[in-house]
Amino acid sequence: MELKEKLQILADSAKYDASCSSSGSHRKTTHGIGNVAVSGICHSFSSDGRCISLLKILLTNCCIFDCKYCLNRKNNTIKRAIFTPEEICEVTINFYRRNYIEGLFLSSGIVKSPDYTMELLIETLRLLRKKYHFGGYIHAKAIPGASEKLLKELGSLVDRLSANIELPTENGLKLLAPNKDSSKVHKIMQYVKTNQNNQYVPAGQSTQMIIGATKESDLEIMEKSSHLYDTYHLKRVFYSAYIPVNKDSLLPSLEKPPLKRENRLYQADFLLRFYHFKVKDLLNPDNPNFNILVDPKADWALRHLDEFPKEVTTSSYHDLLKIPGIGVKSAKRIIYSRRVFKLCFDDLKKMGVVLKRAKYFITCGGKYFLDSSLFKKEFIEKNLVLEEFIPEKKEFEQLRLFNE
Amino acid sequence: MNNGCFIYEDTFLSLLNLIHYLLKNAIKPDKIKNTSYSPNLFDEVVHLTILEEKEIFNKVIQLIGSYATRALYYVFLSNEENKELILYYLLLNGQKYKDKILFHRHLRCVSETIRISNYVIHEVHKYKGFVRFQELENHILYAEVEPVNDVLELIAPHFKKRLKNDYWIIKDVRRNRLSLYDKKNYYLVSGHEFSLETTLKSHEEQKVEELWKAFYKTIGIQERKNERCRMNFMPKKYWKYMLEMEDEL
Repeated sequence: MELKEKLQILADSAKYDASCSSSGSHRKTTHGIGNVAVSGICHSFSSDGRCISLLKILLTNCCIFDCKYCLNRKNNTIKRAIFTPEEICEVTINFYRRNYIEGLFLSSGIVKSPDYTMELLIETLRLLRKKYHFGGYIHAKAIPGASEKLLKELGSLVDRLSANIELPTENGLKLLAPNKDSSKVHKIMQYVKTNQNNQYVPAGQSTQMIIGATKESDLEIMEKSSHLYDTYHLKRVFYSAYIPVNKDSLLPSLEKPPLKRENRLYQADFLLRFYHFKVKDLLNPDNPNFNILVDPKADWALRHLDEFPKEVTTSSYHDLLKIPGIGVKSAKRIIYSRRVFKLCFDDLKKMGVVLKRAKYFITCGGKYFLDSSLFKKEFIEKNLVLEEFIPEKKEFEQLRLFNE
Repeated sequence: MNNGCFIYEDTFLSLLNLIHYLLKNAIKPDKIKNTSYSPNLFDEVVHLTILEEKEIFNKVIQLIGSYATRALYYVFLSNEENKELILYYLLLNGQKYKDKILFHRHLRCVSETIRISNYVIHEVHKYKGFVRFQELENHILYAEVEPVNDVLELIAPHFKKRLKNDYWIIKDVRRNRLSLYDKKNYYLVSGHEFSLETTLKSHEEQKVEELWKAFYKTIGIQERKNERCRMNFMPKKYWKYMLEMEDEL
């Protein structure tokens, strides 16, 4: 088989993994080719608007598992291919020298056994690091069920490791991925968390969940994420809207992937990590799914209107973060600037506050932006919904931050 | 001498010296321009002979801090029409607000300095990803860029660290300037001293380019197609020099 065809098959099989970040690594390189940029660098953007930072491929799409949602499940009659370690190294180096990519994202179907597959990954990455002296970013998948010794070796060759939790609950996993066992994924996460340092998985670990293939609510998903962040200190949990690639009676039939839901989950994920929100602030058993019309923070604010409007010239950093339209950066800028001069609405705009959202929830120097008689839930909600759904502004995209 | 159009010698140092002189003598300039400026009928052009002191750089750092000084330099590299006047007013206010100057976003010179320097930083970051090298037959890597701001000297150090074992050249097509790296240092030279017209691509190049294009086409998910989102992150102005976009132009 020609190299080009192999690349097409094994990139096609890998493309459903959401993660492509190349950030967070401080690893130093002295000789050889390449280094890492702590901010991460996007090298291109694909037709779906996702960033291309890494050469995202599978080592092979042969697989002994039968996960219902996966293109590479063993019963699918698709073309199968396998890269040799040299081929992967050559392509990586050739792409890297031309600045097409920031590094390699190597995953694989399970061949023979988890240990055997892991050994193939290690052999490839060892060749890339030791013989080709590649110093760029490497993200590898850890194979659940492989031995600790192999996990140790793989982690010392890469910047980031990930093991996908795939589905938010045990039941979901049993139903759609009968060969997978979430305890093995947790074991990997625990091991990486315990051993992580500047030489071992310096950019930390991440995971991914498929959204909409099973019936879990947003509440169950967010509780899972929150648990993973707290327990294993993950850098990121990625959410991947389910895209039907297989036909199976166990799978839902969707017209379109649930992209808006995915978007809401990412927004809520950021609220957990950077805005001091807890899952119970955002969702509860009576209200287990996000409002598709309004983003989670605005939705929270509308349900807590008694705490608003907040005065930007005196509110604490913590309180500023709760205001829709104010982010981490603009909240910090407000704190610095209000010490040295008197803020007005125009200044807020220059600091990156999204006034078209924030204006309903703030006063500035005692003044409300609109007629204060308009401070009513119905009015604000209606306007926020309109704002988001004006057609030209309509974007379903994965949220990104350069510095995670 | 008030309201004159003051000319500086095109370098950052020369600009700082001029502004320092103007501030010291309480002169309020109408315009500050570099030597390529062609004056209009009403300009009262003033060429001053100012003794250039290298110390000026440290003086500025002492006054407003190294962070703000860096922002100042980024503004100098920008393509903004009135950048010199913005810097004049920034340093004028810097005398009062010292190293707190950048917190004073209500001042127009401050908000403009921040806006423009962020724009320059943003463009540098974009180019770290979007530069596309091709390998020539003598194994030199060659790339062309067309940045809005004069960011070549900010991009070069990144590739010096990254591709330290390769000879490479990055050409700023807009300014006809080149950055050359000889496996030790990088140099910035004017394009007139250099021609690559007769150099061919290496014999491996075509194959690698085809692999990349195939990868790019494959990695996009049809069901998620989102033209607008792609355009936001990768505006069309970059496409001309990006191999994978060739077929979509």
